[in-house]
Amino acid sequence: MAVYKRSYHGYAGPLTPEWSRFAIIPRYAYQRLFKSKVMTVFFVICLVSPLVFLSLIYVANSFGSIAKMFGATGVRSPITIDGEFFQIFLGVQSFLAFILTCFVGPGLVSTDLSNRALTLYLSRPFSRAEYVLGKMSVLLILLSSITWVPGLVLFSVQSALAGTGWLLHNLWIAWAIFSGAWIWILVIALLALALSAWVKWRIAAGALLLGLFFVAAAFGHALNAVLDVRWGGLINLSILFNAVWNDLFRTQQKAEISASSAWIMLALICAACLWLLNKKLRAIEVVR
Amino acid sequence: MSEHEITFENVSKFYGDVLGVNRVNLSIPPGITSLVGPNGSGKTTLMNLMTGLLRPTEGRIRVLGVAPDQPERLFQFTGYCMQFDSFPRGMTGYQFIYSYLRLHGKPHEEVESLTWSAIERVKLTDAAHRKIAGYSKGMRQRIKLAQAIAHAPRVLVLDEPLNGLDPLVRAETIALFRSLAEEGLHVIISSHILHEVDAISDQVVLLSSGYVVAEGQIHGVRTEVEEHPMQILIRCTRPSALASRIFELDTVVEARLHNDGKGLLVRTRDPDRFYLMLNRLVVDGVDLESVAPADDDVLSVYEYLIGPDGGSI
Repeated sequence: MAVYKRSYHGYAGPLTPEWSRFAIIPRYAYQRLFKSKVMTVFFVICLVSPLVFLSLIYVANSFGSIAKMFGATGVRSPITIDGEFFQIFLGVQSFLAFILTCFVGPGLVSTDLSNRALTLYLSRPFSRAEYVLGKMSVLLILLSSITWVPGLVLFSVQSALAGTGWLLHNLWIAWAIFSGAWIWILVIALLALALSAWVKWRIAAGALLLGLFFVAAAFGHALNAVLDVRWGGLINLSILFNAVWNDLFRTQQKAEISASSAWIMLALICAACLWLLNKKLRAIEVVR
Repeated sequence: MSEHEITFENVSKFYGDVLGVNRVNLSIPPGITSLVGPNGSGKTTLMNLMTGLLRPTEGRIRVLGVAPDQPERLFQFTGYCMQFDSFPRGMTGYQFIYSYLRLHGKPHEEVESLTWSAIERVKLTDAAHRKIAGYSKGMRQRIKLAQAIAHAPRVLVLDEPLNGLDPLVRAETIALFRSLAEEGLHVIISSHILHEVDAISDQVVLLSSGYVVAEGQIHGVRTEVEEHPMQILIRCTRPSALASRIFELDTVVEARLHNDGKGLLVRTRDPDRFYLMLNRLVVDGVDLESVAPADDDVLSVYEYLIGPDGGSI
């Protein structure tokens, strides 16, 4: 029997808190993402529309002064800053966020799975939940920066220009921007990760994500037309989100489905994505 | 329960109806332990179980007192080098080690120092800033090994770590394992190359079809294999003269001249008694040069217990 020296002394210094370890994944992901010029340019384009909406807010609040410069008096601004205005803003930004997700999302998990790199992550002091959180946060942070963050900045500018009375009367809009954007971000981030984990092929996952939006929407319309029903809208993500946003932004637009059924359907989609991620993200893939 | 050993208590793993490992009871002390067995015998399953990458269907595993289903605790002191290559695209050797080390929660300066120390230990300093995609098979194997040892673990689990290494690097890598074991680490290795297993292991675990066939120090395992009498090679002058006397011992079951005519191969059921009695048997004019066991190695034990056709040896 060998006699061992027992000379090993491991690192005994301070460690970063366990809850913050997931942040390493987005940090590296952004370094890689923003090396792509196309990605950087598109991200900048995503920040153009908030500037346009900012200009509209300024014009709406200063319309009287601007009109006076041209000699007109007693003219009211044709732009109303209300829930519908911010819903339109969120609609535009959500579309851009979706395109961004189609760029970024599919490669997040599929490359790790196809390279068998999941074992590398999970043979560290790092759990599957932290891995999913880390990968999701790549999208959560990126999409937040072009949706609810500029949305709340616009809301703050409007409040500053319109006064405390407007702010107090419309505080619910801030909540609608925040929660409406988060629901969108959460659902498409989960969908992107789940599809990426399922097909393990970046291009196919991107195509599937696009297909889920557009093909499912067309199929839903076809169901409604052929069967003369309205529940075809339940598989149309645009209709689901419109129903939820109409509810949050208190707009009177006519929706094909009720807000409650849209909420339930979105919750089911999230649950299905989590189930798929739980099934597919394993350190060792067991092939039977 | 020992906090200095890796223990398996009645551990079974089934993949649906397919057996991975069955009723494994093991206790692995510090030093180099080799898992030996044919393909599909359960070596990798056993490694994945002890690193928590697979959960057992039944039984209990403890790695230095820690359950493998607690990765935050387990992997602070465990390093794992898997059999397959898995390198994120575009990474250099340095980035590969550094980025995964950050998941341990150590600060940048410490991680940087550990990264260089691991790279130097596997002798890849010159290639550290080259992309892994341009590495040879042997270099990839070494960078994998570096990522497993980088955080100075106390338990090192290495699945086929010698695959693809040229003889020189292989010898250096074995020396590295030996030095790690001498520092008090548990080094668990799976390998198909039996003569190397024999040379480096403090103990072996022989596996076949998901069952542990034998475990322990190889000499001890060999002694337990009673149905195959121990073979002893006696190097001497005039081996035929010695052979004529050797059957006076009742423990000897076979004696034959060695192919080169300069020795005698003896099979005995009681080697200790044989060694004691041998001096009395030596006749005048016979000079003994050496007496040594001839089948006291992993290869022989493997053949006796698993059979010569047991896999891709």
